[in-house]
Amino acid sequence: MRPYFEKMDAFGVKLKKGEIKRTEGNIKKILQAEKEIKIAVEKVKNTGFSTEKINARGQMTVWQRLSYLLDADDTWCPLHTLYNPADNEEGTTNVIDGIGKISGKWAVVIGFDNKVMAGAWLPGQSENILRVTDLAKRLNIPLVWLVNCSGAKLPDQEKFYANRRGAGTPFFRHAELEQMGIPVLAGIYGTNPAGGGYQSISPTILFAHKNCNIAVGGAGIVSGMAPQGGFDVEMAEHLVEKAKEHKAKPPGSVKIHYDETGFFRYVYEKEEQVLDGLKDYMKDIPSYNPKFFRVTKPCKPAYPEDDIMRLLPLEPKKIYSFDQILSRLVDAGEHSEFRKDYGPEMYTGLCKIDGFLVACIGNRQGYLGKGYPEYADYPGFGGKLYRQGLIKMNEFVTLCNRDRIPIIWFQDTSGIDVGDIAEKAELLGLGQSLIYSIQQTDIPMMLVVLRKGSAAAHYILGGPTANRHNAFTLGTAATEIYVMHGETAAVASYARRLVKEKQAGNDLQGVVDKMNDLADKYHEKSRPLFCAKTGLVDELVSLKDIRKYILAFAGSAYQNPKSICPQHQMILPRIIKG
Amino acid sequence: MSENVLAPLAGKIIKVNIEKGTKIEEDDEIFIIEAMKMETPVFAPCDGIIKDVKSRKGDEVEEDDLLAIIE
Repeated sequence: MRPYFEKMDAFGVKLKKGEIKRTEGNIKKILQAEKEIKIAVEKVKNTGFSTEKINARGQMTVWQRLSYLLDADDTWCPLHTLYNPADNEEGTTNVIDGIGKISGKWAVVIGFDNKVMAGAWLPGQSENILRVTDLAKRLNIPLVWLVNCSGAKLPDQEKFYANRRGAGTPFFRHAELEQMGIPVLAGIYGTNPAGGGYQSISPTILFAHKNCNIAVGGAGIVSGMAPQGGFDVEMAEHLVEKAKEHKAKPPGSVKIHYDETGFFRYVYEKEEQVLDGLKDYMKDIPSYNPKFFRVTKPCKPAYPEDDIMRLLPLEPKKIYSFDQILSRLVDAGEHSEFRKDYGPEMYTGLCKIDGFLVACIGNRQGYLGKGYPEYADYPGFGGKLYRQGLIKMNEFVTLCNRDRIPIIWFQDTSGIDVGDIAEKAELLGLGQSLIYSIQQTDIPMMLVVLRKGSAAAHYILGGPTANRHNAFTLGTAATEIYVMHGETAAVASYARRLVKEKQAGNDLQGVVDKMNDLADKYHEKSRPLFCAKTGLVDELVSLKDIRKYILAFAGSAYQNPKSICPQHQMILPRIIKG
Repeated sequence: MSENVLAPLAGKIIKVNIEKGTKIEEDDEIFIIEAMKMETPVFAPCDGIIKDVKSRKGDEVEEDDLLAIIE
């Protein structure tokens, strides 16, 4: 199949002088917006005790552990850094995670932030961990834990301890991964009672630091007593003595779980040695040599990735060329476009990332030309979905699944065409058909919300809401996600009220104020930082880092895929060629 | 030798960056047309001087309407 992939069709063009001149302002705006995101990220990284204070206790911070564990080739792609759905005062769910390479192999890595309440369970954490276990499951790559968990933040336990998606769920999810053949490795540090104990025992192989302990209950529980209707000073004195005793000798130490139970496979003197142990095991994790799946040699994009800061307008009403952006993300600026004369509002094509074959789907922008959509007497605009684009995506996704090609979605959509003419054109049914088509695949997907993610189109264009195959979703400084634009929502909510007030001869200003309030609320609750905090995206990335995440996705998807289509048996490249 | 600048789509002219006599370079943004809530820029197809501007801010134009002439 070399002739199909070694030299594909070139696309994208070099920026013109005028384009460079008029996009200087956009670069400044993008950099300013990305700076605000960086400030928020730094705040999370510096929350809790200082690095110096943790180091003075003879411990490394989770960040130092990550830095030591990961390969020094800058492949680390953090995820969920700003995720804090319960709005914890700590500013974090208290786990740090992402995808990175360890000993040359891709892994999902997650660690408790031991700078914050010694790595306690906090509200929202179990949702964060669910995203991480799902990621390992979807990409079929190992999950590596850096456990250092003091258990539940007790004053907030009602917010996360129980419930269907509560703090205990990682334990069965670890079991589920193991039953699927996905290993969970755990380096264990510090005191890990109760929830921390299960967090430690549920992985596949346990690498322990000499000072760690894991237990069903910690010193705080062991030294407690049966409830007696309250406390008095005499009881408090008794508690002081008990607590001293258990602090000196916490349950579940290395003496118990290495010498007696043997739960710990290894025990190490130094913190770094625990990480060395993990690295050593990662060398033997099942993985294909990339050459097994590559269709050609890896190659950089044909044009500078920095061009994307000029090509993607921060202003949501401005149109742009999606093909120009994609040409800056894929190897050699080459592709094979699927049905390029049909459904012009959607790009569907095969591209190469690091020499691997991937499928890309994205919204094109701007006027779609006379006579399109063919079923309507109004003009078609990119960003909207019409009949042909929906049919084309259904076909493309189905064929990608047949050929086992991972899919990268790019969204900038205002929704599906609406009205009786669109209903007659079956768009409601075709949208759900796309969800059906995606759901019947079993291939990894990722999504980049370049700018707008709106209406049902956000679901059906590979969005995390509507399928199990979305490994992660990225946002940018230009991302905004909402059911519809705030002003549209205000009209939908208050138009009838305006009519009533007008008919009654009342002043409209009160309703107008409410409409403005609603539009402002929509704006505030669709911004990139809100999307990251609430998990509408898994990470906000700078435009120059999008390719880095795509490389991580493609490398992970092809590291140990669950199912293979031989290159010479693929049908999609042949359908494109005709 | 003159070149006509035509409207690439139907919509409302919301910005005019040129007037008669303006010296322009190829790919300068000379109009913005709003349609379907989106802004579509119109770029100069060549270097030159604006000989005539046929559309003003607020005008509704049809696809292929003459917007300006470059000399």
